[in-house]
Amino acid sequence: MKKFSLLVLLLGFLLVMAACSDDASNEAEGEVGGEITVWVHPYTGDAEKEEEMWDTIVKRFQEEHDAEVKIEVIPWANRDQKILTALAANNGPDVFYAIPDQMPQYANEGMLLELDPYLEDFDLSDFVDTALVSTKWQDKTYGLPILQEAYTYFYNKEVIEAIGEDPENLPETWDEFKAWAEKAKANGFYATTFQGGGSMNGTLYPYLWQAGGEVLTQDDEVLINNEAGVEAFTFVNDMYENGWIPEDSITAMEHDAIWNSGDMLAVLGSGITLSNLQKNGEIDFVIGSPLENKEKVTYGTVGMFVIPSNTDNPATAAEFVKVLTNADNQRTFNEVTQYIPTRESAKDIFDEQPYLAQLASYTQYALPGVIHPKGRDIMPMIQAELQTMMEGKKTPQEAADSAAEAIEAAVSQ
Amino acid sequence: MTLKKNNPNINKKKNKLPFKERFRKNAIVYLFLFPILIHFAIFQVFPFLFSFVLTFMDWKIIGNHEWVGLKHWMHFFQDKLAWKALWNTFMFSVYYIVPTMALGLILALIINSGVRFAGFFKGIFFLPVVTSFVIIAGLWGWLFRGTESGLINWIIGFFGIEPQLFLSDSSQALIVLAGLSILKVAGSTMIYYFAGLQSIPKELYEAAKIDGASKSKIFWKITFPLLKPIHFYVAIITTIGSFQIFDSAYLLTGGGPNYATTTIVFYLYQQGFTNLNLSYAAVLSYALFFIILIVSLIQRKYIGKDTAIY
Repeated sequence: MKKFSLLVLLLGFLLVMAACSDDASNEAEGEVGGEITVWVHPYTGDAEKEEEMWDTIVKRFQEEHDAEVKIEVIPWANRDQKILTALAANNGPDVFYAIPDQMPQYANEGMLLELDPYLEDFDLSDFVDTALVSTKWQDKTYGLPILQEAYTYFYNKEVIEAIGEDPENLPETWDEFKAWAEKAKANGFYATTFQGGGSMNGTLYPYLWQAGGEVLTQDDEVLINNEAGVEAFTFVNDMYENGWIPEDSITAMEHDAIWNSGDMLAVLGSGITLSNLQKNGEIDFVIGSPLENKEKVTYGTVGMFVIPSNTDNPATAAEFVKVLTNADNQRTFNEVTQYIPTRESAKDIFDEQPYLAQLASYTQYALPGVIHPKGRDIMPMIQAELQTMMEGKKTPQEAADSAAEAIEAAVSQ
Repeated sequence: MTLKKNNPNINKKKNKLPFKERFRKNAIVYLFLFPILIHFAIFQVFPFLFSFVLTFMDWKIIGNHEWVGLKHWMHFFQDKLAWKALWNTFMFSVYYIVPTMALGLILALIINSGVRFAGFFKGIFFLPVVTSFVIIAGLWGWLFRGTESGLINWIIGFFGIEPQLFLSDSSQALIVLAGLSILKVAGSTMIYYFAGLQSIPKELYEAAKIDGASKSKIFWKITFPLLKPIHFYVAIITTIGSFQIFDSAYLLTGGGPNYATTTIVFYLYQQGFTNLNLSYAAVLSYALFFIILIVSLIQRKYIGKDTAIY
């Protein structure tokens, strides 16, 4: 038994040593070559088509560079765990896909390679500004974006007609939307969805930004309970109290059944909503622009490729990310995945698709969420306060104040 | 001290065969045991010990780790949310353990009673156990939807009950989640109880019948007490299961409303894999470990005592 525990201790010690000694080299120099591993995800349901897409992209890279690229498709489920454990074991990819709230968190932990040294002669002017926002933390660039989304309202035409409104003349402001919502309610419809159990990016944040507010600045200033913030909390509270959003909105994860059965005026959606609507073909819909109160703004995620700081082939990884996000490859990638390219020049793929072109025109208004290392930590806190308010246990002002307090505590930790 | 320590060893050696002999005799056992032990050491013992080390560090995924002493342990004692999560977990156990055991026992009695199509019922009752949790949870969420069109709301509407919010109500959500777990697990407790029922000697029932004992008397005086080892086993596994509850909150409520369904494992997951606070998550997992350990010891003391019947 004694020997056994000694063995275990020794084993533990060796593993700790191995884990501690993986100093990554951050040199911008170095030749492009060797082999890199790239972790991607299944972006569509069609694995075969995606494989072809990756082959094309890798071939384009290899036309200019003599390096091996291994593409590994990682399922979405528990992707954070997979990346974290692989990186901790120094066994991770050289390039991986990241989303906006993940980037600053990883960057702040020193897990990502700063790309600026590799981008000195690289022209970024073709990229959409709102997409680049999500790749920067404390003025340093950590990734290049390949896809973007823009959330906006999809309206059910039949419901519009049932409430006596004009589908050619959709609401643009909060006031116009409220008037429509009131009519929808009076005619036995819900006005829209509210997934209170899901991400704040699809619930409170867009309204908060539209009211001219901000959750938390990059300098740790908490603004959620200023006047604009409280206005957004109040708007949500009114929607719930007036029955414009379903009763289970406090923790709902989706309202698909209600929308699909035609009992809802509008749904906040993006490209996926569009492709589902087109595939089912049951609902006659129109797409409206993002709403405006003080500002016209909405949420839209950005997908980017980043490089972990412990890669042993940073030069090749950086070069691959640059090639992967060039205009040609963005066209190839987004044609297959039906997301919106982050380069203006690549948006021409939607010339024949008016709906996607319309969505693409909204990415200029689409913010990628709260870009802060604590962006993810604070979400459940805000969510809890919003839920308490909707349950009628706090006023919008009290809920916003408590949320601000919780955020301050989290940021100061 | 040395004497005391050595003495038993000498005694032992006297009683045993020489090492070589012993080894030859047991070599095959070691051969099979060795890979298992290696696996056990790497995947159980090492993570267990290493996560304890983690609790004293600010563990970075990549880069240098800092020793911070008891910082995370101190934080745990002040962290209101952690205590709320523990309380929620405790309440979940209250809603879950006894009903699961009772339902499992009732189902076992049904299939053991010689009812027709017993095998068919066994299959039906066991179905939720072998079905994916995600699917069961999806169905449960659909049944208990908080809008008027939710199936349960539609049914209770016939009895004049107002539509309930269920998962969106902080006083109901945890109970609804417990209901889901009961449905999921009762099938397997049924199998344990069924095995237990089969092992009770028939003579006892015959003797009781001859003495003119009523059915309920037979149940409470014979069946129930003789199932004691099963009670113990089922109580332990459902208790441990209830303290580890995570997936239903993850799938159906996201821990809400207002943390009402944030259980300790859900909180631990959030801390570890959403907030990247792996060291604090390790502290929480140790807290959970000690709680489960203590509860199991108490259960062993009170219901796990010797099970001889005659």
